[in-house]
Amino acid sequence: MRKKSFTLIFIFFFIMIIIIGCNNSIKVNSKNPITLNLWHNYGGQLRDTMDNMIDEFNETIGSENGIVINITSISGSSTLHEKLVMAANDDPGAPTLPDITSAYPKTALVLAKKGLLANLNQQFTTDELSKYIPEFLQEGQLHDDGLYVFPTAKSTEVLFVNTILFNKFASNTGVKLEDLQTIEGIIELANLYYVWTDEKTPHIENDGKMFFMADSLFNYSLLGCKQLGGDFIINNSINLHTAQYNKVWKNYFNPAALGQVAIFDGYATDLAKTGDIVCSTGSTAGISFYPTTVTYADNTTEPIELTILPYPVFEGGSKTAIQRGAGMSVIKSSKEKEHAAGIFLKWFTKPENNIRFISSTGYLPVSKEAFGELMSREIDSVSDENIKKLLIASKIMQKEYTFYIPPLFDGVDELQKQYENKLRETALEGRQAYTELLNSMDSEMSYDAVFDQMYNEIINYFP
Amino acid sequence: MTSDKGKINIVKQKIQRSAEFGIPMGQKLFLFLVVLVLTIILGVVGILMITGSLTAGLKESEQLVENELIHASEEITQQYGQLSTQAINFSKGLSRSIEKKANDLGISLSSLHEYPDMLEEIVSNELEQTLLTLQISKSSGVFFILNATINPNLVNANNSKAGLYIKNMEPNIINSSSPTITVLRGFPSISRNNSLPLNAQWKMEFDTNDASYYFEPMVEANLNKGLPLSRLYYWSNSFVFPDTSEKIMLCSVPLIDSKGNVFGVSGLEVSSMLFKLSHAPNNREFPRLFSVLSPTSDEHIFLDKSMIAGSLSTRIVSKENSSLNIVKNKNSLYSYWQSKDNLYWGTHITIKLYPEDSIFHDGNWIVALMMPDEDIITSIARINLLLFSLLVLLFVLGVFASFILSKRFVKPISEGLNILKSSDLSEAPKTKVPEIDDLIDFLSNSNGESSENTGSDSFSLSLLNEFIENTKKLSPAERSVFNLYVQGHTAKEIAAILYISINTVKTHNKRIYSKLNVSSRNELLLYINMLREVGKEFN
Repeated sequence: MRKKSFTLIFIFFFIMIIIIGCNNSIKVNSKNPITLNLWHNYGGQLRDTMDNMIDEFNETIGSENGIVINITSISGSSTLHEKLVMAANDDPGAPTLPDITSAYPKTALVLAKKGLLANLNQQFTTDELSKYIPEFLQEGQLHDDGLYVFPTAKSTEVLFVNTILFNKFASNTGVKLEDLQTIEGIIELANLYYVWTDEKTPHIENDGKMFFMADSLFNYSLLGCKQLGGDFIINNSINLHTAQYNKVWKNYFNPAALGQVAIFDGYATDLAKTGDIVCSTGSTAGISFYPTTVTYADNTTEPIELTILPYPVFEGGSKTAIQRGAGMSVIKSSKEKEHAAGIFLKWFTKPENNIRFISSTGYLPVSKEAFGELMSREIDSVSDENIKKLLIASKIMQKEYTFYIPPLFDGVDELQKQYENKLRETALEGRQAYTELLNSMDSEMSYDAVFDQMYNEIINYFP
Repeated sequence: MTSDKGKINIVKQKIQRSAEFGIPMGQKLFLFLVVLVLTIILGVVGILMITGSLTAGLKESEQLVENELIHASEEITQQYGQLSTQAINFSKGLSRSIEKKANDLGISLSSLHEYPDMLEEIVSNELEQTLLTLQISKSSGVFFILNATINPNLVNANNSKAGLYIKNMEPNIINSSSPTITVLRGFPSISRNNSLPLNAQWKMEFDTNDASYYFEPMVEANLNKGLPLSRLYYWSNSFVFPDTSEKIMLCSVPLIDSKGNVFGVSGLEVSSMLFKLSHAPNNREFPRLFSVLSPTSDEHIFLDKSMIAGSLSTRIVSKENSSLNIVKNKNSLYSYWQSKDNLYWGTHITIKLYPEDSIFHDGNWIVALMMPDEDIITSIARINLLLFSLLVLLFVLGVFASFILSKRFVKPISEGLNILKSSDLSEAPKTKVPEIDDLIDFLSNSNGESSENTGSDSFSLSLLNEFIENTKKLSPAERSVFNLYVQGHTAKEIAAILYISINTVKTHNKRIYSKLNVSSRNELLLYINMLREVGKEFN
């Protein structure tokens, strides 16, 4: 009896000590909120959607669970990548890492290898993970079987066409939108468009306009080779010595050197803003950055009506499109913060929220439910006509295309930059050399001379 | 259920027994000590209340917020002061440079609107200076607007002005190789020729419709010719720049040529993100503390015209109702009312964005630090909960100590009593309680003496028993006389009561003495008294 009393007293004291001890530790609840800093890359028009989503989370689930999401950076994809890598390397002047960040797999890989990312498998049960599209999850499993990038919204590439400009061209030349289904078709139309626009100013020679631009030349080459049955990347190196690449190169260099396709170190939307191109391939997420008007040199404007088509395919090639898009990574910190980040990610990717986000941004949903019937149902209720067109094109691609995840390895980012710069540089040199040769020989001979020289230059640059 | 009832019954029985037999000494001592502990703790609570320690949390929080406010207001004043100076310098440099270019082109700045074809060249010529100002000012954007448009024939030509507006999307990054500078307004050739991407919300010209940042400094510069630029610069309220999505504040300064012609404005931008990253208060203590830079009038803060920094969603703060009513609290800092549900607690300080003799010095600005009212209540409650927990712990410790002390105090007394109940006190162990040991010694000695008397006591008892036995031998007449002796009557009284002579009484006496084996009436009365004392009766 006496022993029992002492045990009870001991237990009581133990509990009291725990209670008092806990007063000094941070426990997440609505009265003691935890703040999670978030960096994301949803800028421009996407910013409002993201801000609204975050506000809604903070007011509802966040408020109930004592979680405040605080956006501390909105950057473009490349700047975000650079900031994260700088912070991961602890470079001078680098900002402090946030708690959650948008991250592409290539960025997350750098952080994960330094042990800076939380393994999100610990925040999701197997049952919860089974509700997401496996390929999207697979893209985030970068290292040690851990899930380091959680898919929040995915994207692929499509063909954006300024219908107003295209229709003017079509009504004069008889070309059709269907011609844009293949790369070869686009290049043929680019040639026709150049001639058509050149003819408008007969007093000025060779001032035809550009027709097409691929936002990412790396993706264009990667997918081109894949569609044609080859591999652009082998053993973590660029492989240009293939018949497939020769075709890919020809379809870029030829029209680029002739001034029919853009050689531009920037986004195609920049050229679209001034009506300098008619169509471009780019990320579905780029829809939010696509201008609503064309502004001409005299500051007159013309509205843009967009047509969105599935990603073009090389003739005889397979229907293959890229799977891309940043997910969210959680920086390793306290268990409370990682748990809170998990709650946010679950809320953000809940089918109804995921659909809401994609309905105003042009991304693709990540859960099976959202990508399935829910998306088909929601397409009709999407108020933004361009997003609606985009989702319809995405649905077609989902049925007909194979999605290709780009290879991921150390240095892929640098390799991509190197390749794109070299390709642009070569194309630019080609354009200048061709223009010079035109003075001394006919156009076909001039082109052949330049093509061979430049092709050898680039394939030898990446042996 | 039944076991609970059983326990209740046991407790009831214990209480009844306590009422019947009294509370044991140990329990009485325990209760006494508990009352003592309780009294001490109540005393401590009283002292804490009198000294104001229970509201110390609030005072600490006030101090903390006030310190943060001083820090924030100094930083904001410094940043805005520096930006004002840089905007003035930019305007001076730009005015000179544009005037020189105009002279080279053979045009007058007062008639700039007449030369739309020259604008692209004039604007492009200032890119370098604009980029340099962006880099050294650590602002989020730099702009200049000329009082002219490239296409006077357009419908909205009056409100369309040529110029350049470049934004640094990452003003907080020191080193960056990727392009973070974009062209928000300006000629696309500037973007293409200098590898500066067009901003997603790019337009070629500024829409100056309802643009106070454009008109205010130009109008005042025209009205106050000769006034230095340091008295003419203008800070706009926070607003969303047309056709963009972010709130900004602009510091604009008129562009004036050497002849006094006002031909545009130039200035710097503070974006809401730059303000947030520069002035978010330390939120370790209060996660939802936020700072506000706001114009103020009539005890109101205008959130839609403010810059807000902190982790609390600024959009939530300013979404429903744009103004906050400032109310001074009786006991603690200020309350900021928005609606019944939106109440903030904090404090503010007035800051100056202009010199006293500035054209715009009438504008009142404040820096405020505030947080949702519930946060400060929770914070104080948490501190008091800690205090309360400590007092409870103290009370429990007191009760525990009382229990132990009363047990230890009563233990030797109980042992002493047990010893007293034993037959042999002479060999009893020492209890180490002097009083009890003395008592045992005393009782031990007393027992020695009384044992000596025990033999005579048993002898007396046998005599008495024999005496009683002998009374049975008395005849009825003798018995009557004997009974009257027992009742305390004298010989004379007996003679009178029995109607016999005194001699007859004496005769009976002799026989009684002989049968009862006593020698006198006194001895007889001694026996009778002894029998009474031991409680024996005659039958």
